[in-house]
Amino acid sequence: METGLTTNLHLLTPEFALTALAFLVFTVDLFLPERSKEWLAGLSVVSLVAVMVVALVMRPAGSVELYGGLIVVDDFGLFFKIFFLGIGVGIIALSWEYARDRLQHRGEFYGLLLFSILGMNLLAMSRELLTAYISLELLSFSLYVMVAYGLREARSNEAGIKYIIIGALSSAIMLYGLSNIYAALGTTYFVGISEELASPAAASPVLWIGVALLVVGLGFKLSAVPFHMWAPDAYEGAPLPVTAYLAIGSKAAAFALTLRLFAEAIIPAVNLWGEWQLVIAVLAAITMLLGNLVALAQRNLKRLMAYSSIGHVGYALAGVAVLGSDFALAAKGVIFYLVVYAVTNLVVFAGITAYYNREGKDDIADLAGLADRQPFTAAAIAIGLFSLAGLPIFAGFTAKFYLFAAVADGGMLWLAGVAIFTSLVSLYYYLQVMRQMYIESPAHDTHNAAAHQAHDEHDDIHQHAVHDEPPAPPMPRPSWLLAGTMGVGLLVVTWLGVYPRPLLGLIEMASKAIVPLG
Amino acid sequence: MVPLLYFQLLGAALFGIGLYGVLARRSAVLIVLSIELMLNAVNINLIAAASYLNGIGRFDAFDGQIIAIFVITVAAAEVGLAFAIILRMYRNRGTVNVDEINILKW
Repeated sequence: METGLTTNLHLLTPEFALTALAFLVFTVDLFLPERSKEWLAGLSVVSLVAVMVVALVMRPAGSVELYGGLIVVDDFGLFFKIFFLGIGVGIIALSWEYARDRLQHRGEFYGLLLFSILGMNLLAMSRELLTAYISLELLSFSLYVMVAYGLREARSNEAGIKYIIIGALSSAIMLYGLSNIYAALGTTYFVGISEELASPAAASPVLWIGVALLVVGLGFKLSAVPFHMWAPDAYEGAPLPVTAYLAIGSKAAAFALTLRLFAEAIIPAVNLWGEWQLVIAVLAAITMLLGNLVALAQRNLKRLMAYSSIGHVGYALAGVAVLGSDFALAAKGVIFYLVVYAVTNLVVFAGITAYYNREGKDDIADLAGLADRQPFTAAAIAIGLFSLAGLPIFAGFTAKFYLFAAVADGGMLWLAGVAIFTSLVSLYYYLQVMRQMYIESPAHDTHNAAAHQAHDEHDDIHQHAVHDEPPAPPMPRPSWLLAGTMGVGLLVVTWLGVYPRPLLGLIEMASKAIVPLG
Repeated sequence: MVPLLYFQLLGAALFGIGLYGVLARRSAVLIVLSIELMLNAVNINLIAAASYLNGIGRFDAFDGQIIAIFVITVAAAEVGLAFAIILRMYRNRGTVNVDEINILKW
């Protein structure tokens, strides 16, 4: 098991390549004139796809440790790497038009995106707390800058300040937890932690403080409920593609770390304190409840998506809570849920971006009448939201089915009940958005949206009968890139809803790589 | 030899002071400063633990010092980034008081 520092270094080629390409994007950015910065988006997509291919080609048999066990190259890491690189391609497709029209210095935007993806990839591969922390910071630092990217927009600045202060606070808490775990156990390797934890002699207040604070720090990064307060502000203030990236990428990466940490460090030691499951379960339950209930009151579309994503974190956390019972089933459920959630959210955000690029507004009431003005965009958003709510045919249903079944199977029937109840609640606020798009008429809303909000309950029957307003001008078509993103996303959402077996097979392979020893 | 617990208490006190500063301070700059304090508590903890582990015969245990060096580096980068964003805020809004940074709520 003794590995030198440089053995098997070639297995990290995808990461080295990604680093080099990120620097290349920054360098090329310096020499490109402003009007041809689009090439950088193309360069980034090409490099992401190239790295994906390299990672697949270099897949080792079994799992190989590097740097003396700091990093491991295995199927779990590989699956998440492909997943993250795919997210990167999706986000670039989403941001192309937005960045061209609304962002300054957009070359650096793509460079930062590549660096954050590098951070996520390393996060999925790290097997030691410090390595995980550094990767997490590489991801977070890029995200801080991207959230604050609207240089002269007060909203974006404010979101950036709130995000970086809470982010720095959470990493300080996480590090304090790390230092206590190190003081108690003398190791920061996941494997070492699980070995030390397995002996009852390890139990000490310092250790409990350490593990608790580590979980709190992770909770901040996941935006689980008592630690969620940064998320709505960061989501609302950030430029739209960055909001999408926060919702999809940073969540998935934090869950990749959570899964590996629990599988390799914490679950093998459940004999020390079995009730940890209950703590995570309660955390999941309040996350689902609060995220979905507060979403009911939202007026802003980005903020609605923020609370909805908090709710979805709750569902995935419910899966994490039952990891100890039937690891394979629960891990499969969580990973599948993450993939489906990412694809579906990509569709919804592509729709919202297509609308925002034309109109520059992001309140829910602004969407009124979108179905008449831009049917395809409206349909994409609607199908995406149906899938997020978990209606059959679409992927959201299949994912929720697997996940909740795993939760119930793990002996937490009440948690599955809470999850189903909150899914119903979420259907209500998703339907509110759809009602705006399909039932409300657009001209009505432009001047008194607030007054309209108050009595629109009994209003919409009259509205169509009495007022015969001229139809709003049709909106210009979304760009081909966004329309294509929505189209491909919708195909994937439907396909995964009807025939998820191939993907589930891959996920099973990935989750086998981290199955706990105990 | 000073027992490990004393260092851990010092670290905990420093961490608590930092946390209090984050919650009580109004200026974004001082909040970042308080977070630095919390990170220094982490460093004290790490280095004390590493030399304690050395003292009980685990001579391979200098992970603590190495982690501390990484923490210092990351903290420096974090402060640079935070101040850049705070400076942007100051240019746009003329304030770094977190009570007045309140466009986004609920």
